[in-house]
Amino acid sequence: MDECQSAIPAHDGDLHVVAAAHHIVKALGTTKNLSDDLRKILIDLDAHLSLITSNIDSKGGKGFVEVEERLKRVERKIVIWESDRIMIWDSGPKEASDYLEAVDEVQTLIDSLRGLSMNENQKQKELLHRASSLLQMAMSRLEEELIHMLVKHKQQSEPTYIPSPSSQRNVVYNESVVSLDNESAKEASSKNSCSDECGEYIVDLVPEHVIPDIKSIAKVMFASDYGQEFCEAFIGVRKEALEQHFDILENGKLSIEDLLKMEWCSLSTEMNKWTWSMKIIFGVYLMSEKRLCDQVLGEFGSVNSFCFLEIAKTTILCLLNFGEAIAMGPQEPEKLLRLLDMYETLADLVIDIDALFSEDGGSFVRLEFHKLLEGLADSVKAAFNAFGVAVSSNGSLYPFPGGGVHPLSKYVMNYISMFPEYCSTLNLLLEDQHSDVASLVSEPQCGPTASLSTSCPMACHLRSITSSLESNLHKKSKLYKDEALQHIFLMNNLHYMVQKVKGSELRPFFGDEWIRKHNAKFQQHEMNYERVTWSSVVLLLKDDNPGSSSLSKSAFKEKCKGFSIAFEEVYKNQTSWCIPDPQLREDLRISTSLKVVHAYRTFLGRNPAHVDDKCIKHAVEDVEKLLFDLFEGSPRSLRNSRRMMKT
Amino acid sequence: MTGTDQSSFLGRISIRRNQVNAMEGYHEQEIEDLELFQKQLSDRFAELLSAPDDAPTEAFLSISWIRKLVDVFLCCETECKAILLMERDAAQISKPPLDRLIPELLERVVKAMDICNAVTNGLELVRHCQKLAEIAVSALEQKPFGEGQARRAKKALVSLMSAMHVDDKESSVQKTAERSWSFGRRSGNKDRHHGHYRSLSWQVAKHWSASKQIHAMTMNLAAPRGPEASCLPAPVYILSLIIVFVMWVLIAAIPCQERSGLTTHLPINKHVNWTHSLASIHDKIGEEWKKKEKKGMAGLLYEMQKMEKLGQSLIEFTDSYQFPGEKEKLDEVAAQVAELAEVCRRMDEGLVPLQMLIREAFHRLVRNRTEFLDVLEQGGPVV
Repeated sequence: MDECQSAIPAHDGDLHVVAAAHHIVKALGTTKNLSDDLRKILIDLDAHLSLITSNIDSKGGKGFVEVEERLKRVERKIVIWESDRIMIWDSGPKEASDYLEAVDEVQTLIDSLRGLSMNENQKQKELLHRASSLLQMAMSRLEEELIHMLVKHKQQSEPTYIPSPSSQRNVVYNESVVSLDNESAKEASSKNSCSDECGEYIVDLVPEHVIPDIKSIAKVMFASDYGQEFCEAFIGVRKEALEQHFDILENGKLSIEDLLKMEWCSLSTEMNKWTWSMKIIFGVYLMSEKRLCDQVLGEFGSVNSFCFLEIAKTTILCLLNFGEAIAMGPQEPEKLLRLLDMYETLADLVIDIDALFSEDGGSFVRLEFHKLLEGLADSVKAAFNAFGVAVSSNGSLYPFPGGGVHPLSKYVMNYISMFPEYCSTLNLLLEDQHSDVASLVSEPQCGPTASLSTSCPMACHLRSITSSLESNLHKKSKLYKDEALQHIFLMNNLHYMVQKVKGSELRPFFGDEWIRKHNAKFQQHEMNYERVTWSSVVLLLKDDNPGSSSLSKSAFKEKCKGFSIAFEEVYKNQTSWCIPDPQLREDLRISTSLKVVHAYRTFLGRNPAHVDDKCIKHAVEDVEKLLFDLFEGSPRSLRNSRRMMKT
Repeated sequence: MTGTDQSSFLGRISIRRNQVNAMEGYHEQEIEDLELFQKQLSDRFAELLSAPDDAPTEAFLSISWIRKLVDVFLCCETECKAILLMERDAAQISKPPLDRLIPELLERVVKAMDICNAVTNGLELVRHCQKLAEIAVSALEQKPFGEGQARRAKKALVSLMSAMHVDDKESSVQKTAERSWSFGRRSGNKDRHHGHYRSLSWQVAKHWSASKQIHAMTMNLAAPRGPEASCLPAPVYILSLIIVFVMWVLIAAIPCQERSGLTTHLPINKHVNWTHSLASIHDKIGEEWKKKEKKGMAGLLYEMQKMEKLGQSLIEFTDSYQFPGEKEKLDEVAAQVAELAEVCRRMDEGLVPLQMLIREAFHRLVRNRTEFLDVLEQGGPVV
């Protein structure tokens, strides 16, 4: 084209050549089965040649007749739509392509008119002016068509916020360590992980078949230097669509001030929503939006990344500010799992974020999210430490009734049984505090023979927490006046800890050595209990004078009475005590029975002469039976039960 | 104002505290530090006050002026914290009246964080205006300038005006909705329901109000009197006042959610030397706000004001323009277009850095709060 322009013939002699060429071009143009590119070239050439002709003509006074004719023709094609209420692209593909062709023609005419030297030619100026006005009309129309198209084809695929598995977990940990005493902690549920469900996938934000239409509008608007208008319109609609999706995810807009004052229960829900929204917004929508921008605008230089940033910015800032508000809030222990969820989500997404905003303009987004990730890491550490502090400092004024499993033990063990799911994250974050804790928890498994799982930072931290729990339980056991009950309490709680470790993902982190050691510990308390409670009772039955064959009647009577009183006392007390684990309860009864019943039977067997109903309040069988009432947690008195037996 | 000034000031406090910490005369040293600090503040605000009202660069309330103001805030924040916390025993700041003043300060800090975010959203609107003005400029710069270009320019300018006059009240969400592209020539397409979310996107939170935040921040903000005026309550007051003042200026200058009823009276203690320039700036902006508030406007930002004026005049021109136009009129318009292009250029240069700076201020407020809380909780001195 440019060469043609420079080769505009200067004198009339060339007119024939030009006319001949024009004729050939026109003839070629009527040929069917031309490729689009070739046809375009011919149209351009045609326009140019006709201009040359008219230019030469004008010198002869005839003016730009043909150009004017062509302008009139396209004018009709364009203006006719102005009075029509129907959108062009809604009318059909033929209408759309005709319109685009007309706009192309206007653009070609303008280019050609501009290409000619302006020798103060009034007609030429006027035609150029008319063509430019026509182009403006068409561009304005195309902008409207674009917006209509984008709005109409906004895809309504809406992954809504699914509160299911996580909300259950909320229930478990909405209570705080501090308010735990004498409250039962509920069983834990499994980790909520929507990442497995939604993952990272790209959706069609605009149906595939509409993309070529949008691109065709982009092409012609950019070619006519209306790229800015295109971008503003495109950004406007897409930004709105993104915000709509964000809104559907139920992210209530909250100020930092509101978030800092929010109750834990609502805050926990908001934190879940954030985690979910981050995954959906970055993993799905922004990925897809980026692809859409690239598809539509990829050919026009860096505008695609500019538009993408403009579309995404406000939504991103909103997510970012929520994260900031959480990271700056007080880090209570109950927040730990939610914080871990947030941290893990963001840690998984940072690579995507870096890729999405790899251009200079987006460096701010990259930086902010990396900063936020650090902030969340600090929050996790702070909450973890707060958890440790809460475990060791949780105090009680009164002994826990019955000596059963304390809520603190339940809370701590259930809570930490969630940790293995966050193992790699916790290992990463607790690494720098590892050495301090590892030396504190001088368990043998931290030594060189330990396996990898028992020596990782999380494992050491876990054992440090359970050892804080143990010392706290020891403190709590001192609240019981009865030494035997102290042992029952410790036995119960240690047994509970061991069971929890054995029956969960915690096992590899604690190791068999820990389990052995703690089995031994609770068994020690079991033995201590028996010793404290029953040794003195059994002692009453002991033969004071092993040399003689049998006791005197009165001595026998005395011993029987003493035994009965002591036994009844124990019975009265210990039926109200509690061993929640049936197996443990059974074991203890059997071993008690072995010891006590055996001693009683031997005692009676040694003095057969004195055995009659008057002396012996309780038969051996009765004692054996009565022992099974112990540790049921329902206080009984023997007077009632004896009466019951007699009747 | 400059970095070296500041680092020498901080060094001075640090060295002094180290040397004289347990010695006599500690209090006198502190008074001297405080005086030096106030002198520096006074100079900084005097410099801000001296900015010309109308100038191509560095005008009062221009983007570059606001950047300077935020810079002053950042410096002041660092220095105030140094005076309050550096090498200091936590016991000193946890006893009356500081046990009341510090938590009040921290509440203001949290409110200021939300304001920073609101203003960041507002700057997005300013950037949108810039884009529209750029379209108008590129249309108006076309040669030869035809009616088509005039219509193109007008369309962009009308959108610009409506974007500028966004009402920041929640009640007029739908009005905010009207965007450049919803020109509704085709009445059959009027049923496009976009725009609602557009206004949501610039909200900090539902029912959040910038003017109410400022009002709340000024509560209990009273200058210390008597002996308190020369010890720790003084820097707490200074920091509080500067935070409130800077946030107030940002809200007045930059569009943000719900500004109606914005107070024009901040409790500035005019009886101390260092507040003179600050008070003058405050009066000047307050007057301006009162004049413009009723008209409903995008904010007092110099560039936006300029854009509004030029935009209106250019709309009039494009309205009545007939090809080819009078030479004289065209020359006059060319000058206005050049001016508008210059405003766009300054926005293009300054808006992103301003946004970053406000983000920095936000992060600084976050850190500031954490540091105070740490001191209050741990009861140990900050190094």
